Amino acid sequence: MRKKIDSAFSVLIYLLTACSIMALGFVIYFIVKEALPLFQEVSLSEFLLGKRWMPIDYTGTTAFGIFNFIVATVYVSFTAIILAVGIGLGASVFLSCVATESMCGILYPFVDLLAGIPSVVYGFIGLQVLVRIFLKAGVRTGTCVLAAGILLAVMLLPFLVSSCSETIRKEKKKYEAAAAALGIGRWYAIATIILPASWKNILLSMILAIGRAMGETMAVMMVMGNANLFPRLLGKSESIASVIALEMGTAEYGSTHYHALYGAGLVLMLLLFIINIGINMLRRRIVSNQGRDAE
Amino acid sequence: MRWLGNLIKAWAYISFALVCAVILFLFGFVFYRGAGTISMEFLTEAPRGLILGEEGGIFPAIIGSLMFTGTALVLGGIPAIATALFVVFYCSNRYLEEGIHLVIQCISGIPSIVLGLFAYSFLVRDLDFGRCIFSAGVALAIMILPFIEVRAEKAFREVPVHIVQSSYALGCSRLYTISRIILPSCRGELVSGLILGGCYAMGATAPMIFTGAVAYAAVPDSLFAPAMALPLHLYLLVAQGATSMDTAYGTAFVMMAIILISNLLATVYARRSEKRWKNS
Repeated sequence: MRKKIDSAFSVLIYLLTACSIMALGFVIYFIVKEALPLFQEVSLSEFLLGKRWMPIDYTGTTAFGIFNFIVATVYVSFTAIILAVGIGLGASVFLSCVATESMCGILYPFVDLLAGIPSVVYGFIGLQVLVRIFLKAGVRTGTCVLAAGILLAVMLLPFLVSSCSETIRKEKKKYEAAAAALGIGRWYAIATIILPASWKNILLSMILAIGRAMGETMAVMMVMGNANLFPRLLGKSESIASVIALEMGTAEYGSTHYHALYGAGLVLMLLLFIINIGINMLRRRIVSNQGRDAE
Repeated sequence: MRWLGNLIKAWAYISFALVCAVILFLFGFVFYRGAGTISMEFLTEAPRGLILGEEGGIFPAIIGSLMFTGTALVLGGIPAIATALFVVFYCSNRYLEEGIHLVIQCISGIPSIVLGLFAYSFLVRDLDFGRCIFSAGVALAIMILPFIEVRAEKAFREVPVHIVQSSYALGCSRLYTISRIILPSCRGELVSGLILGGCYAMGATAPMIFTGAVAYAAVPDSLFAPAMALPLHLYLLVAQGATSMDTAYGTAFVMMAIILISNLLATVYARRSEKRWKNS
């Protein structure tokens, strides 16, 4: 009897695991299925490289080009990571080299609070504070790519801090005693040995963070102005995720517009898959290299 | 060469102070501006007013958000913990294990808005559930699945191998080992992972805009009815402009308070978990 329950439990675990794996398959299948009809009407190059997005034919012709949206998505993510990495890396040096273990027990959850704040609240505060500051500073409408970049940078901080400080802590464990034995000062050792040793892993977390920024919808949509323009730092623009969120409600089911929005979603998803799979391969290579060094 | 060390030191201290300042500002700003709106009526009444939400409260949105979160936790949490158990205790093939990790990482990479598209096409249209809590719950569940799986797997791996092997050596089955040794000792991490995952699902707007959340609905009576949700309500209030700003701050206040309390609970609970092997 007991044996039967045990094997039933194993089967349950197998089934549930299969469910989680299949979730990915289901998502890909449905997005691709809804996106494919688009390419009977619009060619792939026209879709990816076209700059005109006219889903409804007010002026006679429709056009589905998402080039500006793609560039804006990448542009705002890079702005965010450039702004976030200086502060994030400094904070992780503090957490891994200055804070004691009991301090970390409080400070990590404190920094993680940032990850818990809903993105709508970020967008709301961005509109109320950042956009007003930009208005006063003379940016015409206040909403701009830089505002979205700053918001995204804050949203990326907890992720950067936790992954970077883990890396730095590992390297510190490896070299700290040896450095102290040679009489090298603690901060000098951090600057010249520990940080250079962890730069590869820090770069990986930066790329992952860019991926996260690209998928972010609400906060970006609320402060970026949402106009189909080539992105400039102080100008309006629109990211792929915002286009989908804004226009999905008005797109007629089964129309070209509807399929084009799924096509944009597919492009965004593929970008993120490339980043994630690439990171996975790079990380494996770094781990195996380190294994060889140790031998 | 002393200056280089000092430079790094100053940089570390200043950046950390900046991070703390940002956190305190965000919470302080919302709590300060929203406190005036919070009252018993605001928390227990439905929104009213010529422009919806200008007057009245947000009670249906609070209940709706809790139902979205609960659905997502049940549908996402159970497969996530099962997957973590499988990878740590059942899987003996290294390639399969790496494959599962890659899949989990890819799921975590899917943007939340694309999950919304998926749920719209699959559940709302093809299976004809319509816009409802269940449809959005599935999208949210897939969103938090990798989040919980990674935390659960980390907790399971921290249980010392010798305890697990001693249990097997005494003839205990895997089910007995998992239910009597592994799960009780990881309870703190599992519960805190679920709470944080719930927060993540509660704050997400993108997956439910066109799959289940609506601008106005009564308190839902089943999982197959549409409902209001706090984040979407806040977004709509902001989009309406200046007249509904007070209730917008109030809604943000409620969300930030829920986040703060759940994070506190999760932290305290994770610390309380018994690590008997550490004391001995």
